[in-house]
Amino acid sequence: MSLPDWVEPVARYMFQEGLRGTLRIAVISVVASTVIGVALGTLLTTRFWPTRTLIRFYVEVWRGLPIIVTLFMIFFLGPVIGNQLEFDPFTAATIGLTLWGSAQVAEATRGAVQSIPREQHEAASALGFGWVGRHVYVILPQALRRLIPPLVSLLVGIILNSTLAQVIGANELLESAERSVERLAAPPPSGIFEIHAIEIYGAVMVVFFLICFPLTRLAAYLERKLVA
Amino acid sequence: MRKLIAVTVIVAVAAAAVTALGTARTAESGPASSVAQNAKRKLPALPSNIKQRKRFLIGVKCDAPPFGYINVRGENAGFDVEIARWFSRFAFGRENRVSFVCTPTPAREPSLTTGRVDMVIATFTYTRDRDTRIDFSRAYYQATGRLLVKNDSPISSLADLRGRTVVTTSGSIYDRWVRRCFPDTKLIVTDNFTNAAIAFNQGRADTLMWDDTVLVGIAAADRNTKLTNDTFLAGPYGIGIRQGNTALVRWVNSRLELMRKRDRFMTLLRNNVPARFVAGFSRNILRPRATFGYPPASAPSPETVCP
Amino acid sequence: MILAVTYDLWSYVSENWEPLLRGLGRTLLVSGIAIVGAFVIGAVLGAARAHRVPVVSQLAAVYVEVVRNTPILVQIFFLYFGLADPIGPWPGIKLDIFTVAWLSVMIWGGAFNTENFRAGFEAVPHRFREAGLALGFSRTATFFNITLPIGGRIALPSSINTYIAVLKNTALLYVISYEELTTVALQVNALTLETAETFTVLAVVYLTLVWSLSIAIRQLESRLALPEER
Repeated sequence: MSLPDWVEPVARYMFQEGLRGTLRIAVISVVASTVIGVALGTLLTTRFWPTRTLIRFYVEVWRGLPIIVTLFMIFFLGPVIGNQLEFDPFTAATIGLTLWGSAQVAEATRGAVQSIPREQHEAASALGFGWVGRHVYVILPQALRRLIPPLVSLLVGIILNSTLAQVIGANELLESAERSVERLAAPPPSGIFEIHAIEIYGAVMVVFFLICFPLTRLAAYLERKLVA
Repeated sequence: MRKLIAVTVIVAVAAAAVTALGTARTAESGPASSVAQNAKRKLPALPSNIKQRKRFLIGVKCDAPPFGYINVRGENAGFDVEIARWFSRFAFGRENRVSFVCTPTPAREPSLTTGRVDMVIATFTYTRDRDTRIDFSRAYYQATGRLLVKNDSPISSLADLRGRTVVTTSGSIYDRWVRRCFPDTKLIVTDNFTNAAIAFNQGRADTLMWDDTVLVGIAAADRNTKLTNDTFLAGPYGIGIRQGNTALVRWVNSRLELMRKRDRFMTLLRNNVPARFVAGFSRNILRPRATFGYPPASAPSPETVCP
Repeated sequence: MILAVTYDLWSYVSENWEPLLRGLGRTLLVSGIAIVGAFVIGAVLGAARAHRVPVVSQLAAVYVEVVRNTPILVQIFFLYFGLADPIGPWPGIKLDIFTVAWLSVMIWGGAFNTENFRAGFEAVPHRFREAGLALGFSRTATFFNITLPIGGRIALPSSINTYIAVLKNTALLYVISYEELTTVALQVNALTLETAETFTVLAVVYLTLVWSLSIAIRQLESRLALPEER
């Protein structure tokens, strides 16, 4: 069975432009979320309450807002506030996903750090480590093990939520699918006057499933192995 | 008498100086004939920031055939996109000195006000309201609204819309017009045109309201549908430019005029519209013998005028 | 700064409160229906999964994995347009936009909730169930009297997170232009162009909703906590 003619250019455009866009947003967001989130989450365990309160506010705001609202705010409100804050759709999407992701990671890190027994803190202090040294050299290496399953889940969450970037015009997989559907649906010479929305969006679902399902399974497996 | 001689001498010297400067500049700019040079010098110059950058940054639609879309090879294509390439040829001699930025409807104005693009050629309908925030070039395309219905539809004109359902794209002038003028009509809006077409095909709406450029093609290709005879919301497209950038507005208008005189828009139409509609749509474009502009400032905005 | 010059929250709210309030009402309505539905789906399918009921368990697993690993935007599209498309023997089911609105977030929430409840039920210590059976309860009675109440409470924190996520996901109904809060706010923004005010209102409303729901439910959670955990 051979595929219809229209499939090949559409598939090429979706994979070369769309999927690349999705992965670019996802990878940068996950890395930034992890770095920022781990730092913030560790700071959440400090006894100094102003820091704790500030970070708690950050976490609750970016976890409380729907991600789509965050994206719209960054994209449309940014330029209104200041000329420097004018972002292209990719950057705006990455920033928005990072804000959300870092809030999630911060919360998970807090839980992980707080689950380390007190004896570790006491032993480290006895050895002469200060607060920062204690956390960096003793607590975090242990806590990070417990963080790996949620981090994998976060990766899945960010990959799936990167589709929200479509509403501000970033060219990720869903947007490239939509552009292809529009082109095909137009009468010649632009397109072929056939609506293939179901097939194309179905392909999008399959691609996301093929990427995310193994990662979700991995997270479950790691949860059993590393945390139990 | 002495005064008269003095004045004559001064005027003569001034005239000589001006001529000398003029011919000197002509001599500097190359072997082209001075007549052609004089004619070209009358065309407005390209603003310096674009000249320095040696590229245009132009916002276009990427999901709106036949005006702006991504073609089979993954490149920007369409009527608006080809105008952009002509501008590139006019300014830099080559058609690839343009970087296209995809500007879907909600991003068109912000892209201008923040300076992300030099201009927006993206089915941008002129409205007086928009004119208060950005500048428009002269009109370059005249689209009209039409109604697409199934062949056996009971709707034969706008008057029959009462109690029925219309589908169109969200945020369009049709969206605002129907909300304002047809309170008895149910309205469905979708976020892109193909979804509106799908909604119409699935019978979720009795009629699809949109630009003639696209609907005529659909009515012709789909034997089960036809257009009613109504035409409404004649909306001239203009090129959006940041407010206050009069140098660029002048440059764009002059080049559009050049294209009109050389009937370039006809070629663009032929490239983007099925052959059998070219004659019909030739009334929508600028031709050597046909020109159109925006409605006068005293006329109310079309989407506020109810039939 | 443009912001300082033209920011006028009070007049924005007083001029536009009507459509915004209607939008908020729709958000709450759709969320409410979806949360109740997600609870039911989660409890039923979670129980099926935990008890390894044949056929149902496998089908539920497929449902959960597909919904959890695909973007919700595409799920919304398929519910609205995909189901309605007649393909071969499938006649096409045309759902109206309100149905798609609550159904899509309910299906999404139900998938996550199934996992929450499954984990909750599986975490009920064996000895409780054995005690129930020893006391003469039938399998079903054991479930309803022992596993469900206890497992449900164990699952409560993660369920809460899912319900709050359902509320937030109603904002995505923007893409089918269902006039919930976000869609309405963006329409108002397109007409008035008061971007700063629009997003202030939007952010404040969502955060208030989410935070108060969060606090209220955590109060409930501490009331309902199992004695051992109190």
